[in-house]
Amino acid sequence: MMSKLLSIFPAAHGDATGPTFWMPEAASSVAGDVDWILEFINVISYIFFVIIVFALLYLAIKYRRDPERKQISGEGPTHGLALELTWTIIPTLLVVVIFWVGMVGYIDLRESPDDSYEVSVAAQKWSWTFTHPDYAVTEGGELTVPLGRPVRLVMTSADVLHSLFVPAFRVKQDIVPGRYSTLWFEATKPGSYQLYCAEYCGRDHSTMLATVHVLPEEEFQATMGKLAREYEDLPDADLPRYALTRLYNRCSSCHSLDGSTGTGPSFQGLWERSTSGSTVFTDGTTLKDYMGSGGEYQMPENYIRDSILNPGKNLVENYTNVMPNNFASQLKPRQVEALVLMMKHFDELVDEEGNIIEPPAAEESEASTGDGG
Amino acid sequence: MVVDMTTLDTGQMQKPDLAPRDNYLTHTRGAWSWLFTLDHKRIGIMYLTCVLSAFFVAGVFALLVRTQLLTPEGTIMSQDDYNQAFTLHGAIMVFLVIIPSIPAALGNFVLPIMLGAKDVAFPRLNLFSFWLWVAGALFFVLALVTGGLDTGWTFYTPYSTDPNSAMGGMIPAVTGAFILGFSSIFTGMNFIVTIHRLRPPGMTWFRMPLFLWGIYATAILQVMATPVLGITLALLAVERAFGIGIFNPALGGDPVLYQHFFWFYSHPAVYIMILPGMAIISDLIAVHSHRHIFGYKFIAYSSIAIALFSFLVWGHHMFTSGQSPLVNVIFSAITFSVAIPSAIKVFNWLATMYKGSISWNTPMLYAMGFIFIFTIGGLTGLHLGTLATDVHLHDTYFVVAHFHYVMMGSALVAMIGGLHHWWPKITGRMYNENWGRFGFALVFIGFNVTFFTQFMLGSQGMPRRYATYPADAGFQIYHVISSIGSYILAVGFFVTAGYLLQSMFGGRRAPANPWGGRSLEWQCSSPPPHDNFSETPTVGDCYDFSVLEWSDEEQGYVWRSDIPHPGEEEPAGH
Repeated sequence: MMSKLLSIFPAAHGDATGPTFWMPEAASSVAGDVDWILEFINVISYIFFVIIVFALLYLAIKYRRDPERKQISGEGPTHGLALELTWTIIPTLLVVVIFWVGMVGYIDLRESPDDSYEVSVAAQKWSWTFTHPDYAVTEGGELTVPLGRPVRLVMTSADVLHSLFVPAFRVKQDIVPGRYSTLWFEATKPGSYQLYCAEYCGRDHSTMLATVHVLPEEEFQATMGKLAREYEDLPDADLPRYALTRLYNRCSSCHSLDGSTGTGPSFQGLWERSTSGSTVFTDGTTLKDYMGSGGEYQMPENYIRDSILNPGKNLVENYTNVMPNNFASQLKPRQVEALVLMMKHFDELVDEEGNIIEPPAAEESEASTGDGG
Repeated sequence: MVVDMTTLDTGQMQKPDLAPRDNYLTHTRGAWSWLFTLDHKRIGIMYLTCVLSAFFVAGVFALLVRTQLLTPEGTIMSQDDYNQAFTLHGAIMVFLVIIPSIPAALGNFVLPIMLGAKDVAFPRLNLFSFWLWVAGALFFVLALVTGGLDTGWTFYTPYSTDPNSAMGGMIPAVTGAFILGFSSIFTGMNFIVTIHRLRPPGMTWFRMPLFLWGIYATAILQVMATPVLGITLALLAVERAFGIGIFNPALGGDPVLYQHFFWFYSHPAVYIMILPGMAIISDLIAVHSHRHIFGYKFIAYSSIAIALFSFLVWGHHMFTSGQSPLVNVIFSAITFSVAIPSAIKVFNWLATMYKGSISWNTPMLYAMGFIFIFTIGGLTGLHLGTLATDVHLHDTYFVVAHFHYVMMGSALVAMIGGLHHWWPKITGRMYNENWGRFGFALVFIGFNVTFFTQFMLGSQGMPRRYATYPADAGFQIYHVISSIGSYILAVGFFVTAGYLLQSMFGGRRAPANPWGGRSLEWQCSSPPPHDNFSETPTVGDCYDFSVLEWSDEEQGYVWRSDIPHPGEEEPAGH
């Protein structure tokens, strides 16, 4: 931190793309220009600040009234057209230059190249889902992108305003429900970068985070290939752990693993509540009323499946209807199956404190597919 | 002092240690005589009391916010509580404190006296404005007890109108803001009419103190922009209450339309907050430098220019909202035009200090602090008006720091400077100057420590309105410094409140003109009589200080004995 505080002038800083006093690490093709424009405005600001504050202190000290003498002074000039025009025209010219530089930089930020790699972004309270149409791959909470290729995000929101912000790329765009928004960047440094929601969206706004992983082209292709197959190729026995490690992060802002109450009911004990039918709904009925032969849900699996796909249908007592009802389009049937199996085998996967139980060594290679993601 | 300049009551001032027996404070007695007074001075005092109480409440919320952010995972609040704390801090500060602080509180007291009038044009409307403020404040309290408010002070849709999202206090809160809007409109109307119709003979437009020009420009904004806020908030309430689709896309509405409506008011509102601050500073610098203001007309016209430009720049709040890039380019270009009149003011203030006789008393220190802070606030506006950099900085702490430098560090610091400047006139007592300087030092240092760090925090990528933040992003050190600054700032305000309150009981009696001011309020007694002026005052150049001299007997400034008063043949003596 100390070195960060000392490096007031980025020029004195060796690594041009590392963090400077003002800006975080730079990792996109536009970041250099944005940083240059910021520094340009900074220099103008420093100059004006020094002039104004120096004049202020100099005048205040030089013309300080002797506290003993209460004299009235009235010597100085009361107006001066030449001076007024000087300090009108010089700032005017400067702001015209600043505007122009900023506009040119902005157009570069907005115009995505034609050959961009496209990713669909679904934002909802309070999680991110990234879909790669080219590979039929969906990621939650993590976005994997190729290095050195323009990436275009086509973004939608299921509920309220959100905004996708990656400081290292210097890009930000609001996501407005009811319309598509778009954003593009070209990552220039492999690594992992923090992605934030920048537009206030309610209770868990500050945990609506994701990580952008920038991979060199070959690694990117390999990862996409692996992600595309991961749940299709998995044996059924591995589906619960797949759901926990790869899908649960889309549920985690509302549904806890440790039994604590969130925006939605905890997954801890969900299976027991469903099999016993003890869950009470807002209309006073219990799950038992819908179960068994002749009931709507002959098996608890069906109730859980329905709760994922039609979340507003059976509202559990003390909760409100805030869960997005678009999971039917976001999840493949096999992923829904994985989630149901995760609930069923919850106790094998998660301990009572909500910690994930490590898998036996033999399964490790399969279960950890996503960690490098 | 001479009768035709001021008032028949001034005869009582000749014994400086006796307060005028009949002043506006003693004119009538009892709670009733205050609560339903038509005297602009008493209404100003009631506004001042209420606004400062609201400032205390909003300050407590600010300290809660700063304390929460000391650690990445948050220290004292849940996410929901934090969201309420920053929302209430913002909404109270904007609607209940800063907007009414200078025009309604100080302006009410000073404007008619400065102008040479006995009251505002519509005294009953003035009282009604005050009670509307109280009603608006009560609705905010109602919002708290009916479920709370967590939308941010901007009430952005569709979050605010979706019953499943925002908390239950939404409708009472927007009703409160709606009512406060009318309080502001009526005050603005009253001031416009007062300045147009109640100027005494000789008070031409270009003889008015610059404070009046600033308040006049502000009043234009209040009258023209605030109705748009009223309509917008009414639409918001209708959508929330009845599900009529206006802004919510789920009902066929458009959330970006809301942002246009909201900022069409709220950008001019920024100037409703800062123009009166600039207006105070123009007078403070001239009076405490004992020096004719430099470039009177440029300062006066720059206020009007800022008021007009401010209607055309609202779109710069929406560069990342999804409005078209062409619109963004146009708004960016117009935005820079506001920078020019602001710069003109700063340079004119500095030129006013040249060859002055500058007193380092508390009001002047606040004025100089204002120039320092406003310079930073204004220059960082360049980063945000510039499209390429705003995309990165928008919705981060850089914006938070920028608008605190302008709205808190400039507007409120000017208000406190003005409060010290007119304190002897308002209360008839002098505060302790050494405590005043000490209080200023704490406020100035605390403010800059709190908010300068937030520039780095924001440009490094810390988003606004976060109750927690990633531990590995390097944000914590800035948050800790910022929070320490906020505690220093809080101590500074408590010190200030302490010595000001003390002065009301133990302070030295104030002379009519402790600073050597020339505008008309320094020509009536401290505190002023009920009617301000028993005879219509005559008006001179309010920035020509050469006609005044210090009087040891008065412990204040008086008309020079060797110069005749305007309208009199003979030199005036006591």
